[in-house]
Amino acid sequence: MIPIYKKEMRTYFTQMMGYLFLAFILILIGLFFSLMNLRVRDANFQDVLGSTTLFFLFLVPILTMRLFAEEARHKTDQLLYTSPLSVTQIVLGKFFAAFTLFMVAAVITMLFPFMLSFYAESMPVSRIVGTYVGWIFVGVSCIAVGVFISVLTDNQIVAAAGTFAALFVMFLMDAFAISMPTSAFASIMFVALVVVAIAGIWFNSTRNILSSVIVALIGVAVVVGLYLINNQIYDGIIVRVLNWFSVYARFNRFAVGVLNISDIVYYVSFIVLFLYLSINVIEKRRWR
Amino acid sequence: MIEVRNLTKVYGQHRAIDQINFTVDEGEIVGFLGPNGAGKTTTMNIMTGFIAATSGDVSIGGLDIIADAQKAKAQIGYMPDTPPVYGDMRVDEYLNFVADIKGVKRSLRKDMLATIKKQVRIEDMSRRLIKNLSRGYRQRVGLAQAMVGYPKVIIMDEPTIGLDPKQIIEMREVVKGLGSKHTVILSSHILQEVSAVCDRVMIINKGKIVASDTPERLSANLNRGNNRMQVRVKGEKSKILKALQEYPLIRNVDTQTSPETGTIDLILSGEKDDIDVREVIFKCMAKNNLPILLMKSTELTLEEIFLTLTGDVRSGPAGYGQAGIISGDIPVEINEEPANEFEEVEEIEAPEATPEEETPVGGDE
Ligand SMILES: Nc1ncnc2c1ncn2[C@@H]1O[C@H](COP(=O)(O)OP(=O)(O)OP(=O)(O)O)[C@@H](O)[C@H]1O
Ligand SMILES: [Mg+2]
Repeated sequence: MIPIYKKEMRTYFTQMMGYLFLAFILILIGLFFSLMNLRVRDANFQDVLGSTTLFFLFLVPILTMRLFAEEARHKTDQLLYTSPLSVTQIVLGKFFAAFTLFMVAAVITMLFPFMLSFYAESMPVSRIVGTYVGWIFVGVSCIAVGVFISVLTDNQIVAAAGTFAALFVMFLMDAFAISMPTSAFASIMFVALVVVAIAGIWFNSTRNILSSVIVALIGVAVVVGLYLINNQIYDGIIVRVLNWFSVYARFNRFAVGVLNISDIVYYVSFIVLFLYLSINVIEKRRWR
Repeated sequence: MIEVRNLTKVYGQHRAIDQINFTVDEGEIVGFLGPNGAGKTTTMNIMTGFIAATSGDVSIGGLDIIADAQKAKAQIGYMPDTPPVYGDMRVDEYLNFVADIKGVKRSLRKDMLATIKKQVRIEDMSRRLIKNLSRGYRQRVGLAQAMVGYPKVIIMDEPTIGLDPKQIIEMREVVKGLGSKHTVILSSHILQEVSAVCDRVMIINKGKIVASDTPERLSANLNRGNNRMQVRVKGEKSKILKALQEYPLIRNVDTQTSPETGTIDLILSGEKDDIDVREVIFKCMAKNNLPILLMKSTELTLEEIFLTLTGDVRSGPAGYGQAGIISGDIPVEINEEPANEFEEVEEIEAPEATPEEETPVGGDE
């Protein structure tokens, strides 16, 4: 993992992407800082952070578009995947490089509230800290999505546009979710679709009809079983599932200054899920 | 050292390779030979663990490439058809990165990299950005990369593609040098190359191994010894034919005008199978004062064996099937011999000393 990590860190600064990212994020935050804090003499730096999460939409692709797409394009993936490194090590090495750059940006921005603290009579410290934690979690979640999308293509531009689109959908997920039907019928259809999709994926990777049917039957059994245990379990499930992808929705809770374990667990599992998917897509593509 | 069993790879409906079996012993240099799309790259990508086979196994030094992936891969150096280099790195940086991912110990690294750079002659390029290197040098960096960590097995996909003739010769020397320490597998479309460096040739066509033997034996299997000669004689056709009639031991198989004016190309064979016709031809021509400009055995060259085995008689390498003298329809009977390729052919026929070993083709059906 370390060699990949070092290589990616190096590349960030030989190919400008690292500077570009740092420059953009610092200029943006500096701009909002001067508008929202300095000009109006306000010490609520958390508002600045809250306003800048939207810009992850195009900041994160700068960090992640290259990661896998470029290796595939230049066939250097052959070197990596035939080396003694595991796919997990490769994915983690790249993820942590992007993560590090993001954290560098985060640490530098901490200078803003630090400067503010010399002049403000009172600082909403707990809110700022809470918001920072949320801001970083949102950013890193977006990075995990960006890593995943970079795995899917060998074209940087497609990776960047795809990441932007995915993050955009995630950003609007709340609105989508609200407009989704919550009726029992819709919920059951949705659950059925999920079972069919799982069986389909299974068939696609094994090409074995019998085992796919068994998977589908097990899926139905689990669905029915869960319903018998708790007959409200599928109420509004579409909304709940979509909300799960709504990374931004939970951000606001941090802004109040409350660190909620369940939110942290949520973000960590979101990140782990996308890294896991990335690893699996790479393995799958090579193992068939 | 390497064992490949029933390897099959299916892309959609297309069988890129089909039930391939072979083994490679330690220290052997084996060449995969096959036309475009034969499945050479696919086989190598599977052997190195880059892609998975649809069915079948590969084991490297007893370790399965899928079950024991990390350990098996640690024993392989792979040079894919495109050198897997990062353009924005300097040669030294790149080789150090490769040493890192292969887990080469720091204490050994400096000497190892220096030795390898010397072997592939890129010492002068150490500080250059890889994107500024010429194609041939990038290829060498690709080879150096495969050698880092001194893996037991080195697999090279068309190592000489895109190189100039001088570099090709140099590259062959490097590959030959590898044979003493490593087990080497390389692929190529070029027969001279394979016969010049390899202990054994595996001819692959349409995803199957059609032959596997030493370069010499492959041609010996199908050759006719000194019983059948191609001869270029200076003189008039009628005079030559008349001279031949005096010697019933020689049978004139075919006659053709040669590219040199005033000369005739003939394919002559002995009346009986065990006759060495060379002396008789000499006597016949000498007596009639007809200078022999060229006489060579029509022993099948690897080119022809290749075309014969792959069943692709008339659409082979450039120049084939146009100027040739073709006698008979049975594939083995083919004696295509383009007169303008003699120099090249001679190169093939001076093969390297080969260690005594006989490895039978592993059950390609
Ligand atoms: N990813 C792929 N998807 C579909 N078909 C493929 C893929 N890769 C290779 N093939 C097919 O598999 C066959 C074997 O290809 P392969 O690259 O192994 O040939 P090769 O012997 O290396 O040829 P060349 O001498 O041109 O390098 C070809 O018919 C090719 O079209
Ligand atoms: Mg190839």
